[in-house]
Amino acid sequence: MRRMLRLHRIFVAQYMKNLMEYKVDFLTGAISFLLGQAVQILFLGIIFSQIPDLVGWDFNEILFIYGFSLIPKGLDHLFFDNLWSVGYFIVRKGDFDKYLTRPINSLFYVIAEKFCVDAFGELAIGLILITYSVIQLKLTITWYMIPLFIISVVFATLIYTAIKIATSAISFWTKASGHITHMFYMTNDFSKYPTTIYNKFVKNIITYVIPFAFTAYYPASFFLTGENPLFCIGGTVLASTILFAVSVLIWNRGIKAYESAGS
Amino acid sequence: MKFKKFIRTYKPFTRAGMLESVQYRANFFCFLIGEIMSCFIMFFVWKAVFLSSDSETFMGFTMEDMVVYLFITFLTGYLTYSDGTYAIAMEIRDGSIAMRMIKPCSFDMCFLFQELGNKIINVLFIFAPLVLGVEAYRWAITGECQFQIQHFLLYVISLVLAYLISFYFNVSYGFMAFYLKNLWGADILKEVIINFLSGATIPLAFMPEILADVLGFLPFSSLSYTPVMIYMGMYSGMEILSRILMQIFWLCFMVVLSKIIWNHAVKRLCSQEG
Repeated sequence: MRRMLRLHRIFVAQYMKNLMEYKVDFLTGAISFLLGQAVQILFLGIIFSQIPDLVGWDFNEILFIYGFSLIPKGLDHLFFDNLWSVGYFIVRKGDFDKYLTRPINSLFYVIAEKFCVDAFGELAIGLILITYSVIQLKLTITWYMIPLFIISVVFATLIYTAIKIATSAISFWTKASGHITHMFYMTNDFSKYPTTIYNKFVKNIITYVIPFAFTAYYPASFFLTGENPLFCIGGTVLASTILFAVSVLIWNRGIKAYESAGS
Repeated sequence: MKFKKFIRTYKPFTRAGMLESVQYRANFFCFLIGEIMSCFIMFFVWKAVFLSSDSETFMGFTMEDMVVYLFITFLTGYLTYSDGTYAIAMEIRDGSIAMRMIKPCSFDMCFLFQELGNKIINVLFIFAPLVLGVEAYRWAITGECQFQIQHFLLYVISLVLAYLISFYFNVSYGFMAFYLKNLWGADILKEVIINFLSGATIPLAFMPEILADVLGFLPFSSLSYTPVMIYMGMYSGMEILSRILMQIFWLCFMVVLSKIIWNHAVKRLCSQEG
């Protein structure tokens, strides 16, 4: 574990050097992300200028859910972004051999290689929205809320990561699976809004099949109302653990089936 | 004669574009499903908004209008999307642009015809299903057929103009890579700004009147808002005419702009590799 952490630091440093080469590029990327989020929030503002509440949640509560959804998304983006490249081109170009010939776990190596600083935008906006809405709503924060918040964020992050691991592992059989990852990943947008706005079919999918509802709405609704802790927090932990175990299983199976596409 | 030669020169590019998109059709469908999902999210959000609201309309839009707006905006955005910026930036970065310059065909035309091949496939697969779906929905909600052939045909004309504006805008933007070398960040910035200014994220009708008027005169509303409003029958005859003339104006503007930038940039071309 120690060795892994040390290696991770080296990888991060290496990646930062790479990034600094294109500083302007990185800055414009960060600014555009902030702008994009601002537009989304403006849009919510316009909607709420016409209606008092959305299926029982007011503007600040919706902002809280929205902000909450950005935190696990941002953490996953920060640490596990390289999984995208596996499905999009690493396997197809035959570059995956590199990961198998090193004396460290291939999954760890893929993950640690890249450290995506763009994610700080998501994390910052998420924290700002949460802080703002907590103040506006005058929520009382009890001591046990903080460990529960950390637990739910960590496990919610793993839901994102697990979905990326499982779908990018498909490329070990098919050579490329970036678009499958994209398809599953896009479902996360459903979690930004209360699940009660969806019909039964969609609700069941995002709760039990691709459990993105546990990355934002369910845990966030617990912090807002204090109701249903077992389902909201326990469900997040359970869904995330199962999904993560399955995804690692698929990854390991995939490694066994992997044949190099390299030249 | 000249025309025939023109077609003969560029037909292979269209063919290549078509083959390319057919070859990756599984990817294409996965991508499409992912993108269309966000339309459905907004559909449910709007449904909840209309449920929570006392009035039948939201700033002048009924639920039915909103659904048409959502899906036709998606369709318009999808069909007018041009990959020029990215493709050109990549070629500049890896230096293969030098190869393009020595070929006996026009630089922008190669890209245009290649992308057209791609668009033909897209039109076949998503244009008809989406339009039919939207019209079926409208029929089911209002109880009568809302489809109007003249609006639809004008929409198609406006859509083609919108695509060409988008193409030349993206070519001009891609040439910026001559100066910036790497366009990843600038490309995302462009997407965000265009989506906002073109009314794709928030309908211009929801914005303060002054802002909506200003945005109406900028080239961006020509990319998405104009065709969509024509499809929805929101414009009167005179308005349609002036909007389409505006699109033609911006198209000419973008073509000239791309030529100017190209002529200037070629002089300082410095191939990074290859």
